[in-house]
Amino acid sequence: MTKIELETGGSVWKLLVAEGDAVEEGQTLFILEVMKMEVPYEAPHAGTVATVHIAEGDFVGEDDLALVIQA
Amino acid sequence: MSWKPEVDEIKQRRALALGQGGAEAVAKQHSQNRLTIRERVDQLLDPGSFEELGPVAGTPVYNEAGELVSYDPANFILGFGKVNGRRVIVGGEDFTMRGGSPSPAGLRKSVYAEDLAVQYKVPLIRLHEGSGGSVGGTSGKGPNLPGPVNAPSRFRSVAQAMATVPVATAAMGAVAGLPAGRLVASHFSVMSKSTAQIITAGPAVVERAMGEKKTKDELGGWKVHTKNGTVDNGADDESACIEEIKRFLSYMPDNVNQLAPVVECDDPADRCEESLLEVVPRDRRVAFEMRKVIHAVFDHGSFFEMGKGYGRSQITGLARLNGQTVGVWGNDCKFLAGSMTADGAHKARRFMELCETFSFPIVTLVDEPGFMIGSQAEREATIRHGTSAVLTAAMTTVPWAAVMVRRSFGVAQAAHYGPEAYVLAWPSAESGPLPVEGGVAVAFRREIEAAPDPDAKRRELEEMLAAKQSPFPRAEALSVHDLIDPRETRPELCKWLARVQPLLPDLLGPSAFAIRP
Repeated sequence: MTKIELETGGSVWKLLVAEGDAVEEGQTLFILEVMKMEVPYEAPHAGTVATVHIAEGDFVGEDDLALVIQA
Repeated sequence: MSWKPEVDEIKQRRALALGQGGAEAVAKQHSQNRLTIRERVDQLLDPGSFEELGPVAGTPVYNEAGELVSYDPANFILGFGKVNGRRVIVGGEDFTMRGGSPSPAGLRKSVYAEDLAVQYKVPLIRLHEGSGGSVGGTSGKGPNLPGPVNAPSRFRSVAQAMATVPVATAAMGAVAGLPAGRLVASHFSVMSKSTAQIITAGPAVVERAMGEKKTKDELGGWKVHTKNGTVDNGADDESACIEEIKRFLSYMPDNVNQLAPVVECDDPADRCEESLLEVVPRDRRVAFEMRKVIHAVFDHGSFFEMGKGYGRSQITGLARLNGQTVGVWGNDCKFLAGSMTADGAHKARRFMELCETFSFPIVTLVDEPGFMIGSQAEREATIRHGTSAVLTAAMTTVPWAAVMVRRSFGVAQAAHYGPEAYVLAWPSAESGPLPVEGGVAVAFRREIEAAPDPDAKRRELEEMLAAKQSPFPRAEALSVHDLIDPRETRPELCKWLARVQPLLPDLLGPSAFAIRP
């Protein structure tokens, strides 16, 4: 289980995966918008998206849990 | 009659001093997963290299017959030693006695550490775990009287040491009061995440004065202090702290009169890194990893980041180019778009002062959108801290090379270019008084408001002005030294370093301004 936590606050611009999706290492999982910059978050390893804790349009904070990937 | 009785007593005192605060206190220290100061010193130094100073300083207890019955060694350990063959001065409080709160001899030894560093001009390493003064005084009989009026200021040598030799410190356990002040009076500080807290005053004092009930970790654990810049780095445990200090020292000269050591480099100076061609996305809104650029450009594995947890829009550290130490400073556009925040500016100022103090050339990788804006930034006095960074850059005398990786905007960008900087621009470089997105809305407000579709007009103006951000006119006007293929960044920087290297000996010696905490 790998927790993907947010390095900064911002708003969720695009959520590109859903629970149960298989993901490749390096695949973009979601894109945060921070100060007009789009900050992509990538899968650290291949696996399955176990849980998703964010939705598009959400305002999120630093260290918030975004999603969990099961290897 | 020989001097054998006295010699025997010297041996007896030396043996007693090694007992520190006694077996029980040492066992308690170990049970809390902390090393004693002597074990820490052993871990830091090359085997057998410790040359202790004042090993029998302490407080003896005699019986009525004048015979020594017990002996409290000074609770500060001090001496010379070697780290990877280089001489250093090492010191630290002994927490097994009085919780590291200075005993009379302990205080004398601790203050002597900086004097020695200034005298011998070798790096100073302090491994801290201890508290400050006690209302009971060092003798336990009431507050100490201040020294005579003509005594030198205790903090002058602390400041002088920072202007003379590398000072590296670690918080290994609870560090409070004076030891906490000395912890941060350093060029590099690291705290053990599992065992250290840094507190100006502990929970009891805080509760008495303020009614605030907090644990030591809540007041001053690593989650607080690696994010606010009190320490530069956090490390998992004491051993990891010691490794960080050794790594930091490997980049440093012995003192400000010497050049940093040059190591053999097996990474070719002309290495072109293919990944740099596409590391910056063409879509100007998409963020990228500046640390990938840093790792690709400098000698393989040589980047030592300092202060990763705070002022995170700025990335600072030491690295090597062709085996030579350089200061590295980039922007992290993933954090607040890489803008200059108050704490980022403070971190940048300390970084520049470190480089100026030890005559390190500075390489910047610029992606600076400007000072951070908004109500929080105003509350943090961002413009004052930011201007402090800009003027610090302007006052430096070391050579600078600036690589315009992407954005370079506003007053804040000036901090990234020291005097006479050698400036290289990537094709992705954009610069100006402020980024197009913010600037258009202000400069063309009436035009946008008058348009039938204001949003479309704004976008049209943004696109038109963004097109003018092309780096070619800047190169044509010699506003940059050269426009380069990003893959050529390492070779070009290595050539620059070879050109400025002969200038460095003239910069050695005390700086006009040294580093401040």
